[in-house]
This record gives sequence, C-alpha cells and structure tokens, in this order.
Amino acid sequence: MSNSVISVISRFLEEYTTKTSNKLKVVDAYLFYILLTGALQFLYCLLVGTFPFNSFLAGFISCVGAFILGVCLRIQINPDNKGDFLTISQERAFADFLLAHTVLHLVVINFIG
Amino acid sequence: MYVPTGLFSLVLLTVALGAQALTPSHHLSLSDVARLQALLSQPFTDLASAYYSIVGLSKLGASVADENDACHFLKAQLDPMSVDSLFFAAEASQAISDCEIPVSNETRDILLAAVSEDSTVTQIFRAVSALSSLGLPLASQEVVGALVARIAKEDNVLAITTALQTATRLSQQADFGGILEEIEDLAARLDDLGGVYLQFEEGLEATALFVTAAYTLSDHVDTEPPLKEDQVIQLVNSVFSKKSWQSLSEAFSVACAAAALSNNRFQVPVIVSAQGPATVSHNQPILQLLVTDVLSNPLASASVVVESAQAVVSKNVILTQAPFSLRDGIFELNFMTSQPASGYYQFSVAITGDTRLVASQVELKVKVSTEVAITNMDLSVVDKDQSIGTKTSRVDYPFKAKGSFTADSHQNFAMTFQLVDVNTGVELTPHQTFVRLHNHKTGQEVVFVAEPDSKNLYKFELDIAERKSEFDSMSGTYTLHLIVGDATLENPILWNVADIVLKFLDEEAPAAIQSKTLYMPKPDIQHLFREPEKKPPTVVSNAFTALVLSPFLLLLILWFKLGANISNFSLSPSAVLFHVGHACMLGLMYVYWTHLNMFQTLKYLAIIGSLTFLAGNRMLAQKAVKRIASK
Repeated sequence: MSNSVISVISRFLEEYTTKTSNKLKVVDAYLFYILLTGALQFLYCLLVGTFPFNSFLAGFISCVGAFILGVCLRIQINPDNKGDFLTISQERAFADFLLAHTVLHLVVINFIG
Repeated sequence: MYVPTGLFSLVLLTVALGAQALTPSHHLSLSDVARLQALLSQPFTDLASAYYSIVGLSKLGASVADENDACHFLKAQLDPMSVDSLFFAAEASQAISDCEIPVSNETRDILLAAVSEDSTVTQIFRAVSALSSLGLPLASQEVVGALVARIAKEDNVLAITTALQTATRLSQQADFGGILEEIEDLAARLDDLGGVYLQFEEGLEATALFVTAAYTLSDHVDTEPPLKEDQVIQLVNSVFSKKSWQSLSEAFSVACAAAALSNNRFQVPVIVSAQGPATVSHNQPILQLLVTDVLSNPLASASVVVESAQAVVSKNVILTQAPFSLRDGIFELNFMTSQPASGYYQFSVAITGDTRLVASQVELKVKVSTEVAITNMDLSVVDKDQSIGTKTSRVDYPFKAKGSFTADSHQNFAMTFQLVDVNTGVELTPHQTFVRLHNHKTGQEVVFVAEPDSKNLYKFELDIAERKSEFDSMSGTYTLHLIVGDATLENPILWNVADIVLKFLDEEAPAAIQSKTLYMPKPDIQHLFREPEKKPPTVVSNAFTALVLSPFLLLLILWFKLGANISNFSLSPSAVLFHVGHACMLGLMYVYWTHLNMFQTLKYLAIIGSLTFLAGNRMLAQKAVKRIASK
C-alpha cells in the first residue's frame, strides 16, 4: 500500500521536474510561497487567538486570493491549455492577473484596519 | 370672555352632578358691595365719571361724600351746547338733593332736536333722559317712532338696550308694544355657558345694562318681564361673578343691575347661605341662615321653612316643615332638638312670603358632629393554643395601662373596645380607627387598622409570629396608641393605651440603619471603561511576523535556483513607466492603510492606474510582438 503511494509520488516528482517548463516552475514557486504564508498566518491564529480578527481575515484572504489568481495565471499561460484560451494571450493573462490583484489589494487594505 | 372658560368644564361637571333647581352661585356680599362703593367714590375726573359715581352710589343706597361739592362740579363742568354733557349733569343732579341745573330755551331746543331718526339711539336716550330729568316736556310717541326706526338700523345689543332704557323715561300712555318685544328678542341672544351663566358676548357691562333696562321697563309698564326663573338666576351669576371692576362704567352697570334685581315688582332673586360653617353639634345646636337679596340686604319679610331634612347615608327623613325663627336678621333653627345622629344631612329649604322671590327653593348640606367616647377597652395576651387562660386588663381613657404587656411568638395580643357617641350613647363607626405601635429605640412605627364586627365592637388582634416581617423581627418595647378620627367628630383621639414588649424568635441585625441611610447619598458608581482586549506579548507577535515574512526569502532562493532573471528587461519608456506606475500603486496601498480613506484612494488609484494601464498595455504589446517574431 505505502509502496504504491511512494512510487506515485516519486513518479510525479520526476515528471514534474522534467516535463514542466521553467516559466511554469517560476509561477509554481510563487504559489508555494503564497501557500506557506497563508498557512503560517493560520497557524498564528490557531496558537495565539483571533485578536484582531479583521486583520487576520484580511491577511488570510489576501493569501487565498493571491493563490487563486496565481493558479488562474498558471492555467492561462500553460501552453498545453492553449486550445481553451484562444482569445487570451500570455500578456493578456498577465495583465488580468495584475488588475485582479489591484482590486484584491484594495479590498485587503481596506479591511486590514 | 370675562368668565374664564377654564371654569366651563368644572361648571359642566357641577351641573351634571347636581342640577335640581338652579340657585345663584354668585352675588354681592357685603364686602363686595363695599368694594363697589369704594370704586364709585373715586374723585371725579370729568362729567361722565361724576355721573357714574353719583348715580351709581345712589343705586346702592349710598351717596357721594360731599353733595354740595358735587353739585358745584356738575354746574362748572356743564357744557350747555352738548347733549351728552346735559345728560350727565341732569341725571347726576337728580340723584343729589337740592341740585338744580339751570335750563334755558336753547337747552330745550338742543335736546328736542336730538330726538329724531337721524341721531343715534344713544343720543336719543341721553336727550330724552335729560329732558325728563330737567322736567322739560317731550312727545313720547315721537320718541317711540324714532326709537323703532333706529333699532331697525342699529341692530346691536347695546343699541337695543339703550332703546329700552329710553322707553322707561316716556309716559306710560305711549305705545310700547314693539319695544317690549325687544326684551325677549335680546334675551334670546344671550349665550348660555354650561347652564350656569347667561351673558352677552359683548361683555359684563352689556349684560348688566340689559338686566337693568329689562326690569326698569317692565316695572314702568307693569308687565312681567319675559325672563324665566332659570334665566334670571343665570343672569345673576353672570353679572355678579366678577368681583373687581375695570372701569367706572362697568361698576356703574353692575350697581344698576344689582339695584334692579333687588328692588323690582316682579322677580327678586334670593340668596341663601349658612352663617359660618353649616355644622351643628351639642355645643352649637343652632343652624343659622342668611337670607338676602343680591345686594346682601336681608329679606325681613321672608319666612324660611325646612321642607325636609334627610340623612345622606341612611336616607331617613328627620324633619319636615320646620320653620326657622328670625333673630337679628338671621334665621335660626335648633336642629339638635330633633336628636339627629351624627353625619351629613341634606336640607331642603323653602323661602316664602313674597311672590316675587326667585330661586326660593334651596338645597343645603348640614353636618351634625358629635364627640366620641371609648368604652370597654380590654387588652389581653392570648396563647395561640389557648391552653393558658387569658388575662384581660381593662383600661380607661385617658389613662395608660399599669404595667406593660409581654408577648412572644407563641402568643397573640388582643384589644377590644367600643366607640360610642357621648351625647346619645349610640355606637359609632368612625372612618379612622388605627392602632399604632412605636419603638422608641429604633424609630420603627407600624400601624394597623382596628375593625368593627357586626355588633359594632372593635377588635384588634396582633399575631406576633405572623406579623414579624412588619416589625423586622426587632424585639423590644413598643408603645401602643389608639387613633380615632372622623369628619363628624369634634374630639379626635390619640391615646397611649399601653406598652407592649414583643419578643421575636430570630433577631435581624440593623434594619434600622437601612431606614436611616435611605435618604443619605448613595455610594458613587465608577464608570468602567471598556477594557482593551488582551493582546499577546510583543515577543510572540514579532516572532510570528518574522516567520510569516520568511517564505519570501524561500521564494527568492527558489527563483534563483530556477534561473529566473531580468535580463530581458527592455528599457523602453513604457516599460519604465509601467513599472514605476505599478510601484506607485503598491505604495498607494500602503498610504491608504496609514492615511487615506477609500474615496481619496480611488481618486489616486484612478489616476495612477490609468497611466500604468496605458504604459503596461504598450509594454505587453511590444513583448507580445517580440515573442511572436522570435517564434
């Protein structure tokens, strides 16, 4: 049982390092960073308490939002998905990413108190 | 309105509660008459004021201070060319004995000329009065004609009243038919206020002058005035409700009305009131009544009879058809000879002797008071289970019981007594029979009510255990007082009967202090501000801040390992502008957090954002072109 899990994981890692392009790996690194930040914020909240709650929410939502937008960007610039996004060029995806982030940051800063 | 309409509702209530026969509620008492006379005795300022004073005082049966002086004043102030002047002087001189106003042919002509359809009613009245007072001849029928014509033109209350007054100066043979009808017409114009007051909206003076004119004219033609009894009484109420008069003419009108009402051939309102409080008792058995006219002159020719005297509570009729006897102008009746029980009695009094009397049926409430005596006061301490026999002590008023009584929670304290009327021996049940227990040391006071049983024997029982909460379980010596009182008792009683020592089972501590501190300032309340929430220690916060920021380092390391670089960075103006703009936007976010509000931020964001967008658009387009070209 555990054997198959380990083999699946190792296979996955191997495929990942070889098959994915550098560009995507850069985005993945960014996503990983966001994930860690969000997780650490959540850990703090669990350990120390929810005061001040609005600040915690702002930070956490920021991480979650950024993660989602990053995932969207990754999907859109992945050449394998070109067929699904015929009208959206890479630059366009990036521009959308920036615009959405502006709105996200506005909301987060408003809420952070 | 000179009758305050605030009284209206009160009046309505009074009427609703007890309007049998209407009786006058206002008249001129002796002090009012004196005040009226004083007002009329003011020094004269002009001929008009002299007229009002002199004639007014004569109506009240008084006279001016110095008649000679007055006469000289009249002669000096007289203007023989003016009808008004002649009127005032002539009328006033009639009221003074030995005062003659010189008359000339011119005077007569002027006065006769004033009697015509072209003069106002007032002018006609003054001319006619002057002619009649000066003894000059006048044609009555002509005057009547002129008056009738004027009334048709001047259809107001004062004008018609003046016309009526004029008619009183004419010869009795004249045809008064049309003018007499005016009395009834005017009476119909009176305003009824709550069934108690009847007055003209023009005011007190108009009403008083109307009363005077109506009665004077009725007397003159020997016809009964068309006023019903109720109307007469309402007029009396209206005219005499005001006790201080604003002007000389107002005072004059009231004086004339009073004279007319007290001395005319048809209707004389009678005022009945008790002399002093309407109370009789054994010491003062005589009920005294004052029967007067509106000027407080006693009516000597009247005879006063009690038609019935009925007890208010029991409705027993004590007296019927008992006459009052007249003594020194006061009507007296010895009510105690009928041996009434104490209480209130409704007297129905009738005044006869003169057919002119109005409001001769009067209702009076008379109180019969008496003295109370306490008999058979027995005190005892009874055991609850009644195993030990009771020991009763008799105490006599006003003495105190010898020795104190002791009672504890197993016992009851009992008190019985009777209240009797000193004079008749009848048992009484006064309104207030209280038993008061007072603790000198703690200042406690507890009051109970003693109630009579069916045989009118008063009983008071104190169950010590049951009542301990009223005493706050404070044991000690209590003085016992009996309080007896009633409106019909002349000797209310406060009697210290005995001392009782009460023993309670559990003693509660300072209840007395509570009563003392009841009116002392209460302890201050300190306001508790909202406490700030507990924050974690700074060390923890700082540690976690560092921890949260650390993944950024990891990101940089990962990117470095992946080989991400900025070698492709073209220094085109749009690229530079884009990056600068983007950096500004991020900076704006920080400034928003620290200083700005949403509106300002949006404003700046719009500016910077549009610039960044344009630059970014350009830059990305260039990049796209480059990418496609390199493919």
